[in-house]
Amino acid sequence: MSAVGAVFYREGKIRVTNLTFIFWDLFYPLGYLLVFGVGINSALGMPQQAGGVDYNSFFLAGVLGMASFGIAANTSWSFFLDRDNGIFYEMLTYPLSRAEYLLGKVLFNVLIAVIQAAITVFLGAALLRIPVRVELAPLLFVSVAGGTAGWFFFYAVFALKIRRNDVFNAVTSVFYFFFLFASSMFYPLEPLPAWFRWSALANPVTWQVDVMRYATIGAGHPGQLLWEGAAFVVFSVICFVVAIRFLHSQE
Amino acid sequence: MPEPALQVENLVKLYHPRGRQAVRAVDGLSFAVQPGTIFGLLGPNGAGKTTTLKVLTTLIQPTSGMARVQGFDVVKQELEVRRRISVVIQESAAELFLSTRDNLLTYARFHGLHGEVARRRADSALERFQISDLADRKVQDLSGGQRRRVQVAKIFMVETPVVFMDEFSTGMDPILKRAVMGYIRDDAGRGRTFVLTTQILSEAEELCDDILIINQGKQVARGDLNALKMLSEGMKEVALTFDKLPEGIEAELRALRPLHLHVNQNTVEIGLKMPEEKVLELVSNLARRGRVLRVEVAGASLEEIFVQLMRVDNAATEKPG
Repeated sequence: MSAVGAVFYREGKIRVTNLTFIFWDLFYPLGYLLVFGVGINSALGMPQQAGGVDYNSFFLAGVLGMASFGIAANTSWSFFLDRDNGIFYEMLTYPLSRAEYLLGKVLFNVLIAVIQAAITVFLGAALLRIPVRVELAPLLFVSVAGGTAGWFFFYAVFALKIRRNDVFNAVTSVFYFFFLFASSMFYPLEPLPAWFRWSALANPVTWQVDVMRYATIGAGHPGQLLWEGAAFVVFSVICFVVAIRFLHSQE
Repeated sequence: MPEPALQVENLVKLYHPRGRQAVRAVDGLSFAVQPGTIFGLLGPNGAGKTTTLKVLTTLIQPTSGMARVQGFDVVKQELEVRRRISVVIQESAAELFLSTRDNLLTYARFHGLHGEVARRRADSALERFQISDLADRKVQDLSGGQRRRVQVAKIFMVETPVVFMDEFSTGMDPILKRAVMGYIRDDAGRGRTFVLTTQILSEAEELCDDILIINQGKQVARGDLNALKMLSEGMKEVALTFDKLPEGIEAELRALRPLHLHVNQNTVEIGLKMPEEKVLELVSNLARRGRVLRVEVAGASLEEIFVQLMRVDNAATEKPG
């Protein structure tokens, strides 16, 4: 674990040189919930299919999913910074395995994501009266941590394969569009056209957000959540293995 | 005989550029390096030096062949290899957003050094590399040469038994370079193995006690400086400064088909490949042509040997058989 700890230390050292960014990371999901969530809640209310909760409550898991997706994308950007600084190749000669390198790299950001989720859920419950299921908090933190790591491994596959940061930027923009909007992040899936619903059900964002929704307000069907959680774990493991493979072939 | 610090057997590395024929960057290279050696891996651009270093430092995997560092296979035991090496890569490599001191402390942590020990070693490295006054400045605010100092200073904080340095002196002023060469010699004296690549052959000549010259991924010559000089038997460097350059001397010397000839104001520098007595005869004939202020006759430098070897090797490759 000392090798993972060393990467964690390094990532932390770099991140704390930009406290504004950390502050933004910690509080922007709450801001999103307060502005976007409250806006939609007031203007449109909530359809029946959301299980009788208001939009703020429904959107809490969505905003947490979006935040962990964003943190993962930002973390994978650091591969480009490290390459530009030359330190990426030097680090690959340090006494650590490629798996330890990837795990250490995401660990600090997983910590940020978990703190961010705690702040958002606590203040969301206090300010918007969201009926948070406190007893499910451990599941929430596991899904935030696992989700952030899984998405980081996913993005790492592309960041390690693509050499131009403008190309990577274009790829992440496309991912943001498809993954976030074709999912259960912003709206319940039941009223959607069948093709849209099936696309969303095949989307790992839906798998993660559905588990988070259960972990925050207890909404969802346990059977479905079980397979969605398992599918996300498989997705993360596959991305992790592929990312390690690509780390081995950095020529 | 102790186990070699490095052992390479029939190493091959092919690159497959998209839409082009495979490139044999390393082509059947074999060598061993004993512990405590300062080993120079020399060759022209594209000879395969950096690729060889990348294989030995586990950055890339060979296409075939075997490479071991301190007995550990670079493919099958890559983590064990990494635990025993420090690397200065050719490109500038630093944590730009961290201070100079934090760069050193972060590196130390990767090598298992924490707390007071790490701080003490960082202070010592800062002092040795004359960057104590930059300790709290972010590396992004430093010049290229200062960043290189930080990069090289790191490897002297840890005690890995094998060090790889790709063009280590890039951006260093001559005084610091000389100091670093001293540190390398001291550490090698204590049994640390250094593998250097450099384009500055005088540096290798001064520092390396074992040299491998490669071209197009293959070995061209191997040995210590004296052994390499044997390969250039008869190569001599002659420099003569006249008070006034004798008329027609340049044409006469060119007729001897020298390895090279430079005439600069009143000084003639000529590289010759001929027996020693013939060289002395030529010098004495030249001395009769005018008033000579300075005469210097020396064996070939590593640079001369290198150029000569490359000429012969490239000619052989162009005319196979």
